[in-house]
Amino acid sequence: MIWEELNESLIMNHLDAKDSSDVFEKIGGTLIREGYAKDDYVDALIEREKDFPTGLDIGGIGIAIPHTSVDHVLKHGIAIANLKHPVQFIQMGMDDEPVDAQLVFMMAVTDPGKHVDQLQRLVDIIQDRDVLSRLLEADNQNEIISIIKDKEETL
Amino acid sequence: MKKKVIVACGGAVATSTIAANHIVDLCKKNGIDVDICQIRISEIQSNLDNCKLIVTTSKVRRDYGVPLITGMPFISGIGVDKTEKAILDVLKD
Repeated sequence: MIWEELNESLIMNHLDAKDSSDVFEKIGGTLIREGYAKDDYVDALIEREKDFPTGLDIGGIGIAIPHTSVDHVLKHGIAIANLKHPVQFIQMGMDDEPVDAQLVFMMAVTDPGKHVDQLQRLVDIIQDRDVLSRLLEADNQNEIISIIKDKEETL
Repeated sequence: MKKKVIVACGGAVATSTIAANHIVDLCKKNGIDVDICQIRISEIQSNLDNCKLIVTTSKVRRDYGVPLITGMPFISGIGVDKTEKAILDVLKD
């Protein structure tokens, strides 16, 4: 379950970011400081996003799920932020269509096999628009963890 | 005879694996025997032999002469029914 692996220090509420690079700096920077990722993680995120964008439009709610290859990661984890202002990302699989992301799930992946499993679990959560709406409104870390826990218990 | 379906993405294999798993389940439910060929977009051209359908989770502008469907609904959850129907329509006959 994802909720069991969530760490309060990797959850940011109403994060103030001006663009996607700023999102990568702030959330990715937290993953580096907390020992989850190497110093080059943020640059790797920015590079990968150019080639393989990670924005998704879930029935009108924009989200992004940025990640890198395992080379830039030290330990497996996931950082979550709801944003103070929406930030433009390009949609995954679309390469030119933008989406205004309001929620970011940043994955630090150490094992590509485990990545698929983790992504599948994340996909099960993000496909629920009601869950996304609640995550957007969440004011603290515990609220985010409990929304995800509640959802995962129904799966 | 097994029907060959190429499932491709540009970057990591993760999104295409999720799409591929979904297609395997869908075909099993509908009694269609499929052979999933999971590769990168750049490898599609050299794997086209006997291919009935291509599903991608990245944008592809090229025409390979084989029906091509986006697998993104299996990630976003939006438009899954329509995509399932489109896949079945291609593979049923």
